Amino acid sequence: MQGKDYLKNIVAPVKLRRNGRKRDLTEFMSLPALLLFCTFFVYPLLKGVQMSLTDWDGMGEATFVGLANFTRFFQDSRAMGDIRTTLIFAAGSAILLNLIGLLYALLMEKPFHGRSLTRVIIYLPAIISPLIMGYIWYFLLQPGRGFLYHAMEQLGTSFQLGSWMSNYPTTMMVLIFVNVWQYAGMTMIIYLAGLQNIPTELREAAMIDGAAPWQRFTGVTLPLLLPAIRINVVTNIIGSLSVFDVIMSLTEGGPGYATESLSIYIMRMCYGSRTGYSTAVAMILFFIILIPVLISMRLTREKD
Amino acid sequence: MKENKVFKAMRILVLALICVMCIIPFYVLLVLSLNAPSRVFYEGNMFVPTFAFANYADAWGKSRVGLAMLNSGVITFGTLGLTILLGGMAGYAIARRSTTYNKLVFSLLIGCMMIPGIINTVPLYTLMRQINAINTLWGMILVCSTLSMPSAVFIFTTFVRALPRELDEAAEMDGCTGFNVFWRIIFPVLKPATASFVILNGFGVWNNYAQAVFFLQSRDKQNIPQALSVFFQQFGGAKWHLMSATAVIAIVPVVIIFLLFQRQFIEGLTEGAVKG
Repeated sequence: MQGKDYLKNIVAPVKLRRNGRKRDLTEFMSLPALLLFCTFFVYPLLKGVQMSLTDWDGMGEATFVGLANFTRFFQDSRAMGDIRTTLIFAAGSAILLNLIGLLYALLMEKPFHGRSLTRVIIYLPAIISPLIMGYIWYFLLQPGRGFLYHAMEQLGTSFQLGSWMSNYPTTMMVLIFVNVWQYAGMTMIIYLAGLQNIPTELREAAMIDGAAPWQRFTGVTLPLLLPAIRINVVTNIIGSLSVFDVIMSLTEGGPGYATESLSIYIMRMCYGSRTGYSTAVAMILFFIILIPVLISMRLTREKD
Repeated sequence: MKENKVFKAMRILVLALICVMCIIPFYVLLVLSLNAPSRVFYEGNMFVPTFAFANYADAWGKSRVGLAMLNSGVITFGTLGLTILLGGMAGYAIARRSTTYNKLVFSLLIGCMMIPGIINTVPLYTLMRQINAINTLWGMILVCSTLSMPSAVFIFTTFVRALPRELDEAAEMDGCTGFNVFWRIIFPVLKPATASFVILNGFGVWNNYAQAVFFLQSRDKQNIPQALSVFFQQFGGAKWHLMSATAVIAIVPVVIIFLLFQRQFIEGLTEGAVKG
């Protein structure tokens, strides 16, 4: 090693400094990625801020209208309903996904015969397009025609799903259910990884000290799961607040606009030639996502 | 820790029920896709289809799902290829030359990781129209690559940082520089990182709908979700045998790839979670 270092100092004393602050063309190999990202992400984002202050319809001239789009948004009852829909869907999904994912992971934690097959089966729904998943559940659940309706009828039970598609609270419950059903496996995998990272000695020590199962869970397991909780909560919040596909295929935002999410609203306003307004809604959605993400990141921060 | 036998049996039973719940929708889809168009559910055992395999030929012919699959394939491969190349280069530069400029690039990309694509899709649409990228596969590849770039740069930077410096310093001493060091020395050892990037992003690109609905409207350029939603809206809820046969055709490649690589897939996800 001595000889090698000595050689380096002779050959290229400046170029081969070990602190990584060397300046040469290699430094700029991140440029292509940066250019692509700036062109198709950062530039549209900034352009969007500017567009959100205009009444542009996507074709003609844009007039500066100040914050008019934003005030109009907060006075629009459809938009306010969409905010409520988005928040309820996200809260329901994020809470249930984490509770159920954690429960699945705890059930799966100890080895048993067929464990990896079980893991594959539970994860399977998460790889399918949520749009297609919505259609599959539509075939199952459609009132009066769906597979489940006929199955119940054949079994002779009078239990019927009723007209869930035309009743607001039930449509929302079905949407949350389908979303949780589809992604519980993904949340589970992350929690399983988190559980595997907890040293067994820690939990055994707590058991020897006489801690009850619930105490062991809240006192030892849960605090050590914090990194996994953080990943799951943050990804679930981002994913469910920008929900699009599953609602499009299952309810198309109906009945009326009762289950329309903000993402769908943005798309429809854009197609309705209200380009400036739809970018303003996107800016609002940005903050609706940012605030809970920052809060949950702070709450799950690891204490040293 | 020993486990009570009764408790273990209950645990296995609950897990079995969960598995059944995960499988049932797929099974029902399969039954529906194999039912003759004339079949009404009241007759016979509805859990056994009438095996009308002709539905598949019919669905294949009417839905253009084959073309959509090809488009989705081109978009997925193009996106993954471009992102692996540019993201790998960026990861190498950021890990090995931590200058102020590269620190800024890294912070920018990671900071934007939390912004979902829908936020800037509308202004992006006007940009795409200006450069004639609407209804083109290359346009969609650029959009999808941009959305996966933060994840790629994050994975590759973390991975290169863990590689011994001697690896590329030795090559630099031999007179190999810049892109050559990356391409000949670093890129070949990036395989595990590339695999975990593909695992985390591949299905998402294949299944993309929120961007496809804006950028891939023409019939020849639709990807799988976009083609299916257009095809299904056409029937307005009728002809379930055709719709479900199309859905089966659309998900079969994804399921096969997942089952073939499930071990690497779950391991990759687990590792990603531990490091992230």
